[in-house]
Amino acid sequence: MMQLKLCMVGTFAVGKSSLVRRYLQSEYSEQYHTTVGVKIDTKDVGIGADATRMVIWDLAGEDAFCRLHGTYLRGCAGYLLVADGTRRRSLDTALDLNTQIEAALGPLPFVLVLNKEDLATEWEIPEERIAALEGRGIRVLRSSAKNGDGVAAIFAHFAGARALACNE
Amino acid sequence: MSALAHVADEQAADDRDGLGAALDALNLLILRRRDDGRFLRLNAAPDLTGLLGQAEPFAHGGITLAGRSAFLDNFLVDAMQFWLAAAPGRIHSGIWLESDARGTCRPLAAQAIVSGTHQLLVIQQLCEDYDERVQVMQSARNHSLAEQALEREVMRRTAAIRQREEEIAIRLLAAAGTRDQETGGHVRRIGLYCAALGQALGWDEARKADVRVAAPMHDIGKIGIPDNILQKPGPLTADEYRVMQQHTVIGASMLGDSEIPVLRMSRDIALCHHERWDGSGYPRGLQGERIPLEARIVAIVDVYDAMINRRVYKEPIPEAEVLGIMAEASGRHFDPRLFALFMQILPEIRRIRASVPE
Repeated sequence: MMQLKLCMVGTFAVGKSSLVRRYLQSEYSEQYHTTVGVKIDTKDVGIGADATRMVIWDLAGEDAFCRLHGTYLRGCAGYLLVADGTRRRSLDTALDLNTQIEAALGPLPFVLVLNKEDLATEWEIPEERIAALEGRGIRVLRSSAKNGDGVAAIFAHFAGARALACNE
Repeated sequence: MSALAHVADEQAADDRDGLGAALDALNLLILRRRDDGRFLRLNAAPDLTGLLGQAEPFAHGGITLAGRSAFLDNFLVDAMQFWLAAAPGRIHSGIWLESDARGTCRPLAAQAIVSGTHQLLVIQQLCEDYDERVQVMQSARNHSLAEQALEREVMRRTAAIRQREEEIAIRLLAAAGTRDQETGGHVRRIGLYCAALGQALGWDEARKADVRVAAPMHDIGKIGIPDNILQKPGPLTADEYRVMQQHTVIGASMLGDSEIPVLRMSRDIALCHHERWDGSGYPRGLQGERIPLEARIVAIVDVYDAMINRRVYKEPIPEAEVLGIMAEASGRHFDPRLFALFMQILPEIRRIRASVPE
C-alpha cells in the first residue's frame, strides 16, 4: 500500500491535534490539551490500487519553549501549515515556520489551513491578507475542527479526492 | 573452570542482573547495533520491548528495528549518520508518543550514543517528568493565550476609541463645513488617502490611525473666517486673501498645544498644509522638510481631491489633467518624493475615492 507522510505544523493552540482527531475519529473536545512531542497516526484511504496509508505526524506547537525539528519532516509528501483565524499572530508564526522549512528542506508541497472558521465573529485575519497570500501562489483552505467543516478537504488535498471518496 | 573463576563469573552475572533490573526500573531499553545492522538487547525492559513489537523476539541473532515505529525509523536515519561519524557523545530524538496494541499512548525518547566501539540506542519511557513537563507547557501556553486574548481586547477597544475620535472629528467638521463648500466625503477621503500614504511609508498602526483622524481637521480654522470671504463666489481681493490665509493659524490655535498625539498632529497639519516645498506657501513660508511630513501629505491629497471632484463653484477636472497639473507642481508646491509615492499608490487612492462618495 502506498504510504503518504503528512506533517501538521503551526504554533500552539491552533488546532492541529483537533484537526487530526476530527479527521480520524470524528471527535472534538473544547478543552485545549497541549501536545508535547510527536504523535503519529495512520488512516487508510481508498481501496485496491488507490489504497493509500496516510501517516500523519502531529508535531508539537512551535513557541518559545518548543522549536520545530526539521528532521521530522524528512520524507513527507507535504505539510499542513495550520493557523488560527482568530489569532493573527498564529499566521505570522506559520509563515515564519514555512520560511524555515523551505530554507532547511527546500520547497515541499503544503497548504495553509486557517482553522476555527466557526468563530467568524472573532476572525482576525483580513480577507485582503488571505487574497495576497493566494496571490503568491499559496493554497489557502479553511476549516473548523469543531464542526468538521473543511476538515476532510484539507487531508484530501494530499491524499487525492478520489481515494478519499472511495474510503467514505 | 577454577572455583575462583566460577565465583567471579557468578559475581559478574549478579552485577549484570542488578544493572539490568535497575535499567528496567528506569524504563530504559538499551540496544547495541551490530555490524550487520541488527540490534542486540542489553537488558530486558519488558514494557518497552513489547511496545516495539514482539513479532520477532529479541534473542540471539538480534532484531531489525525497521518498520516497528515510524518515528524511530526516522530517527535511525540521523542515528546512522551519527554512529558512522563515530564522534563521541550522543544525539537525542526528541519526545514522541507511541501507541501500544491497546491504543494507549506512551511518551518515549531515544538517544544514539557512541561508547568506545559500541553503537548504542537507548530508548526511555518518560514517566512523571513527562507529566510535569506537559503541565508546565500547558500552564505556560494557557498563560500565553490569555495574554494574547487580553492584547486583542486592548486593540479592539483602542480601535473603538479611534472610531469614536474620528466620528467626533467628522461631526465637528460637518458643523463647520455647513459654512464652507467642502463636503463630508472630502474630509473623510483626506484622512483615508493620508493613511494610505502612511502605509506606503511604513508607518505603524497608531500613526496611521492618528493621521486618519487628524488630516480631516486641516481646514477646521475656516470656522473663524467671515462668511462674506469664505462664501464669496468670485475671486478674493488681496486683503480678503490675507484674511482667508488666517484659517491655518486659527485652526492651529483651536487645536492648541496638546500632549495628545492626534491633536498635536492635527495642529501641525492645520497650521502647515498650505506651506509649499519651495518655501512660497503660508503662513510661515516653511521650506522642504521643515514642513511637517503629515502636512506635506495633506497638501498633495487635498489638492487632488478638490480638483478631481465637483464643487458648487466648479466642474470636476479629468484625472489625467489633475495629475498633469500636480506633476508640474511637484518640487515647487509638493514634496517630490511624496508625490512620486502618491503616484505609485494611485490605484489605492482611486479605490478610496470610489468607496467614499460625496
